[in-house]
This record gives sequence, C-alpha cells and structure tokens, in this order.
Amino acid sequence: MEIDRFLQPKASSWMETDSENADIAMSTRIRLARNLSDFKFPYSFSEDEALKVDKAISSVLIDQGRKLNLEFTHIDIQEILPLQREVLIEKHLISPYLVKESHSGAVLLSENEELSIMVNEEDHLRIQSLRAGFHLKEAYQVANDLDNLLEQHLSYAFHEKYGYLTSCPTNTGTGMRASVMLHLPALTMSQQIARIIPAISRLGMAVRGIYGEGSEALGNVYQISNQMTLGKSEYEILQDLESMTDQIIQQERRAREAILNNSPVALEDRVYRSLGTLANSRLLSTEEAATCLSNVRLGIDLKLIKDIDMSILNELMIFMQPAFLQQYSGSPLQPTERDIARAKLFRERLNKDSVTNKGEDFA
Amino acid sequence: MYCEQCGKRPASVIVKQTVNGNTIERHLCPVCAAENHNINYTFEQDPMAIHQLLSNWFPNQKASVNPVKKEMAVCPNCGFTFSKFMEIGKFGCATCYDAFEDHLDNIFKRLHNGNYRHEGKIPSAYGSTLKIKKEIEELRKQMQVSIAGEDFEEAAKLRDEVRALTLQLEGGGADGN
Repeated sequence: MEIDRFLQPKASSWMETDSENADIAMSTRIRLARNLSDFKFPYSFSEDEALKVDKAISSVLIDQGRKLNLEFTHIDIQEILPLQREVLIEKHLISPYLVKESHSGAVLLSENEELSIMVNEEDHLRIQSLRAGFHLKEAYQVANDLDNLLEQHLSYAFHEKYGYLTSCPTNTGTGMRASVMLHLPALTMSQQIARIIPAISRLGMAVRGIYGEGSEALGNVYQISNQMTLGKSEYEILQDLESMTDQIIQQERRAREAILNNSPVALEDRVYRSLGTLANSRLLSTEEAATCLSNVRLGIDLKLIKDIDMSILNELMIFMQPAFLQQYSGSPLQPTERDIARAKLFRERLNKDSVTNKGEDFA
Repeated sequence: MYCEQCGKRPASVIVKQTVNGNTIERHLCPVCAAENHNINYTFEQDPMAIHQLLSNWFPNQKASVNPVKKEMAVCPNCGFTFSKFMEIGKFGCATCYDAFEDHLDNIFKRLHNGNYRHEGKIPSAYGSTLKIKKEIEELRKQMQVSIAGEDFEEAAKLRDEVRALTLQLEGGGADGN
C-alpha cells in the first residue's frame, strides 16, 4: 500500500537539521488556507460536495504538481486505519482535526514530506510547507509556488476587502499561519518564558507549548506563530515573525551562557543524568523521555556531549510517540507496555548508532 | 463527578479512545486529560473557543440590537444565520461574508489587532480588476484635492481618466466578482 512509505521509522527530510540556529529553531511551517468559490465550506457542505471538492483539488494537484517536479500521493483519510492516522498526526503531516471530521477528507503528500495538502479539513484546501530549521521565507516560497499553480486551475473564494475567505474568521485575509518550533530549555529553566509569552501576544503573535495550551511545554518545545491574517501582507507577517523569533533565539543563547557560567557542574550533572536515564531505563514515560531528550539536546548544543548525533534525537522525538510505538510493535499497547517499548527504543538507538562524531557539527 | 484518573479534581473533559474497535469513554479533569496527549485529539472541546470570545465581546450589542433584526441576517447560500456564526465561530460559505458584512469589520478588528482589510496576496484572476479599482479610488481622491484647490482643469482631466478606467472595468471585469 502506498501509504506505507509515509509510515516508515525514518525521519522526514524536514526533520534533519544542520543550518544556522537549527539548534534552537527546530522546524518551520507555513500553512495557507484556501476555499473553492463554487462550493460551500466544510461546516455546511454535503458529503456529495465533499467528494467533488476532493476530486477537483486532487486531480489538479496530481496533474499540475509535475510542473513543479512534485509527485503527490493521495491518501483517503477514511480508508486508512486509525493507528495509521495517528502516525500521520504524530509526524505533523495531518492535523487532528482532519481525522475528527465525518465527511470525506484526504491528504496529498509530496515524496520528501515537505509538502502536505489537506483536503476538507476546516477549509477545502490547506497547503502546508515544512522545513527543518529556521527558514520562514523558503518555506513560504514553496507553499506560494504551489498556490500560484493551483489558482490557475481552481477558482478560489476571494473577497476584495477581506482577502482569502476561510471558515474561521481568525484565518481570513492571507489565510497564512507561519510557525517556528523552538527548543527553549534555558528560558524555561530561568522562568523567563513566563514573561516573554504575554509580551508577544500583544504583538499579534502567540507562543505555546507544542502539546496544548496553558500546560507546560513538553520537552521545553514551544511554537511561535502569527495570529493576525488581516492588515499585513504575507511578507510583513513573515518579517515580523522572523525578527521576533530571532530575538527569542538570542535570549535563549544568553540564558544558556548564563547557566553554563553560573552552574556548570549542576548543568553537566543534569545533562548526563538524563542521558543515563534514556540509555538505561526499562520503563520510560512520554513526559520523562521528553524532559530527558531536552536536557541531552541542550548538552549536545553546549558541547558537553560530543559523541551523539543530533539526528538520532530528532528521530527519537517523533518515534517515541504512542502511535509510532504501536505501529512498530504491530499491536495496540497499554500505557505500561508503551513505556517498556519506549525504553527499549531509546536503549537500542542510543547504544548502537550513537557513537559517531557527527555531534561536532551541531554547534 | 470527579476525574477517573486522579479522583481529586472535578471531571470536565470527555476523552474517547478506540482500541480494537471498542470505544472507551473517560471522564477526566483538564490536568489529567492534558497528560494523555496521545489521545487528546478526541477532546470535545474547542481549544480556541472563538465562538465564546465572539459572544463575550459584544455584551452591549446584545442589549441594544433588536433580536428579531439580528435573526434576520441569513446567508442565502448555505442558510447559516448570523447567530449561528456567532455561536460556532465559523462561516458556512463564501456568501456568509456578504450576508454578515455589516458586523464583520468589528469582529475582524477584535481578532486582528484592529485590522479588517486584506493587504496581502491577490489571486491573479482578481488582480487586474482590483488594480484598476484601486487606481480609480486613488484618482478620485486626487480629484477631490484638485476641486478643493479650485484646479478645475486638473479635476476634469482626472475625471476623464476615471471614466476611461471605469469603462475598461465594465468591459473586462466580469471575472472580478
């Protein structure tokens, strides 16, 4: 089955990181929301319309994608297994919302998994462009090129005053949500993040922990994104988000330096204890794994740990999630069984492949 | 009812989990529910709760706007009423934007830091028409300035330009709206 390719236990190309600031800004995502003018939006359309929308969009994408050298695989969400859906969610290739819908929905994935186009999510069309590291404009370029191609063959719902029309009024206008995933252990440890979050929200942007709002960020990973889609051009939105993200990255670097200078032994202790836990546990919960991963990642960034390849950590971050663990054990796992499988995964990956010198590259 | 997991906090979230085709429903508190992030996509809660924000934002309007009149705003295409839009916080179709236009500027201002106009990308199919319209707008402004300054010669020139552009728009702008 075609979908199997996207469920393999290997990192998508956008998970590999080696560019500037990639130690802190782990990945970038651009999402464009679009609707077709001839159909009602997903909140009010019929199943018949849902099927027509899917057909219209998918045929154009598959035909025209070739002009951009893109080969798309069409996956009907209702035809795949619940566990496979969860794996796609855990890989950030589809949204939880797409799975929740009862009408026909699909996702079209490019071979390198850098483009994911959801059909009949909250809007008819959601173009998602993913990149490793901090590359807002490059990611936008890819999404925009595809959008330009599609608009020649599909009639978009567009309003002179309000721009691209979307189901949710928070997306109206550019329909663009740009976000950067940030690893901020030092700002979290020093509790500075609590002051940064409200300040940013006043500027039309938001910072959240990756797992839900309000709760503390799992593994110290946060997402910063624009909230405004009206009143500014795409370029201005990206510019603002970029400079805000730059500032946060600098703050994080300063906080890391301060911790390293003030309490080097305590920090080294924390980093190596975490590495020990990951490499030797027999039971490992998601929370503990995420916390330890964050510490080990920090250790690599600060060159306290030199013999572990960062790409292994990036992979583990994705594969330690429940659906992935179950996909590869071949059966559903109870929470305790998952913790056993997770511990085994970490032991195997960290004790086998980790002894390389690639860690030096991730300064 | 107390949370099934911790038994301490009141349960306010229903989490559904399907294992081997059997759906289990669990009543949890938000704290325990958040810990189960592997299954949290089945939350029956809208995390953004835009509709709540929307309805809370217009406390005064509720009192002053005639409720019968408010009910009258119905989208002729999908049948969404303005109250339904406020309730779920989503549009039913593109025509809703026209049907509810009277209220939308204020709503968008609240959601987008005071902004309600699109300043970004324009699909090329709309681009040429929109460009002409913007040009006309600009010429009209200049015309007002000329009239105010009693430069009627310049004003007449601008008027002719507006006319020419308007003709162009009527001739080739059928795809614009």
